[in-house]
Amino acid sequence: MSLLNPFNKRPGLNTATILLVENEEQFQQSLANVLVEETAVTVNVRLAKTLPIPTKNDESRPRIDLVVFIINLTLDKSVKSAKASLKYLDPGYFLGKVCFMVTNARQALGCTGRLDAVRQLAVSLHCPLLFAEDQTPEGVTSSARRLLTILKVASGLVPNTTALYLSNLTRCAMPPDIDQPSFD
Amino acid sequence: MDDSAKRLLQRLVRRIPTQMLRDTLDKWERLTAKQREFVDFTQSKWTITQELLAVCEERELSVKHIAELEMIYVIGNPNQGMWHTFQLVDAEDDAHSLELVQFKEQFKSHLSELKRNVAVKIKKHTDEAVWIRIAWGDTFSRPNHLKATYVVHYLQTPFVFVSGLLSKHKPLLLQALTLSTRHQGIKDANLSGQKLTAIRDLLMRQYQHVFPTKYPSPLAERNRSVSSFVHLDPHIENEQAEASANRHRMAGEAFGNGMLPALQSAVYKLETKFRDLTNETMTERDKPLRCVVKFSSPNILESLRHCASTGIASTPVTPLLSSIPLKGRNYFVITDNAPSASSQMCQTQD
Repeated sequence: MSLLNPFNKRPGLNTATILLVENEEQFQQSLANVLVEETAVTVNVRLAKTLPIPTKNDESRPRIDLVVFIINLTLDKSVKSAKASLKYLDPGYFLGKVCFMVTNARQALGCTGRLDAVRQLAVSLHCPLLFAEDQTPEGVTSSARRLLTILKVASGLVPNTTALYLSNLTRCAMPPDIDQPSFD
Repeated sequence: MDDSAKRLLQRLVRRIPTQMLRDTLDKWERLTAKQREFVDFTQSKWTITQELLAVCEERELSVKHIAELEMIYVIGNPNQGMWHTFQLVDAEDDAHSLELVQFKEQFKSHLSELKRNVAVKIKKHTDEAVWIRIAWGDTFSRPNHLKATYVVHYLQTPFVFVSGLLSKHKPLLLQALTLSTRHQGIKDANLSGQKLTAIRDLLMRQYQHVFPTKYPSPLAERNRSVSSFVHLDPHIENEQAEASANRHRMAGEAFGNGMLPALQSAVYKLETKFRDLTNETMTERDKPLRCVVKFSSPNILESLRHCASTGIASTPVTPLLSSIPLKGRNYFVITDNAPSASSQMCQTQD
């Protein structure tokens, strides 16, 4: 089984490539449109529904610098599909080149189980967990800006920083009172 | 004006929204322009009723004329009440050359033979549909205009749509229809819904179809996949574009493209055995588990097509779902295929 490998290709000049994985294929469209508007860097966006991605595109595909899993907290299938896709990534990605982006956290306040499960997942993999709002253009723009910041570091375009250094600052941590009863 | 005419008029004015009431009265053409202006439509419904009653008394209108008004309203707004479909079978030789006048005479005479005291009104609509309004009475009572049955039939097609039919009148109506359209039998077509336009379009297949082709387009253009997946920017690329285009194509082949008739529910009556590997006690029972599954949505075909194209329902689309548009039904009874215990196939039956 061919895993997606972060270091088996040469990087492009002033280029960054991001892979957005989302089961519903909705938010990734609007995010992609905003991401490519970046002028300082050439951003390539690849979209997928799940991993693994078909191998026939392997030659033409540039090196993927950041993999973002977009999870809709109101749908169980979204979480399951993201978890199942994780095993198709080479472990090299988990050194700061994977990010979880979660939408509809406000609606999912009723079933906190799913949010906790995603948090546990992000903590165990040492990845950042971002919350996004996908219904308004401002929400899309701000999520895209945050992704771009991480992307620029992950593709080596920011001097004196690497993805691994950044991940120490951005990785998700479990809140200290998770074992105590919450106030509902 | 007698009592029943007054009551019918009162009922009608209550039922029809004021704006439509004005248009319907114009189409009715039984009141003069001056009388129509006399009725003040900005008042409350009660006042409008009183004014209309007075105006109709002047013109000496009877219950037959009010029934005409009701018919005009229903023809203009057919998407109310519950419509059921019947299909005529075994056409005789002259069924295809049946014309309107002959059908009208035959239907009226057959129905009055079967039941005395029925009031029948037949009208041909501009789109080739024949509308029939039937008020049932019997040997001891006048026809009851408050609970009329409406029948819509397209001549030379085997389909009949009925609304407001009581079960005691059903065999009479069906027999009259069969004889007057020169067929030998009639059966239930298992399609019912609130919107007449939707079930008619579904049955007569008046929506955009997609025919399966092996080579969808001769030139491989970059943007030929579905519109929502068009990426004008060359930097954006979908890794699994082919898979999603396939899903869209198969969903379109099963359900059609573009606007779909707004069918609102589908009912599956299951008489299959319970099958679940984790639950031994239930699986051991011999008798089938009776269960009814109902899907409802403002537009169920649109929802099912969306499920198939986004991958929620697996493609190729299962015949359980694709037979809704294919066979034009929305009520299915599903039983197990009997032969061997190992082959567990379901099949739909009438």
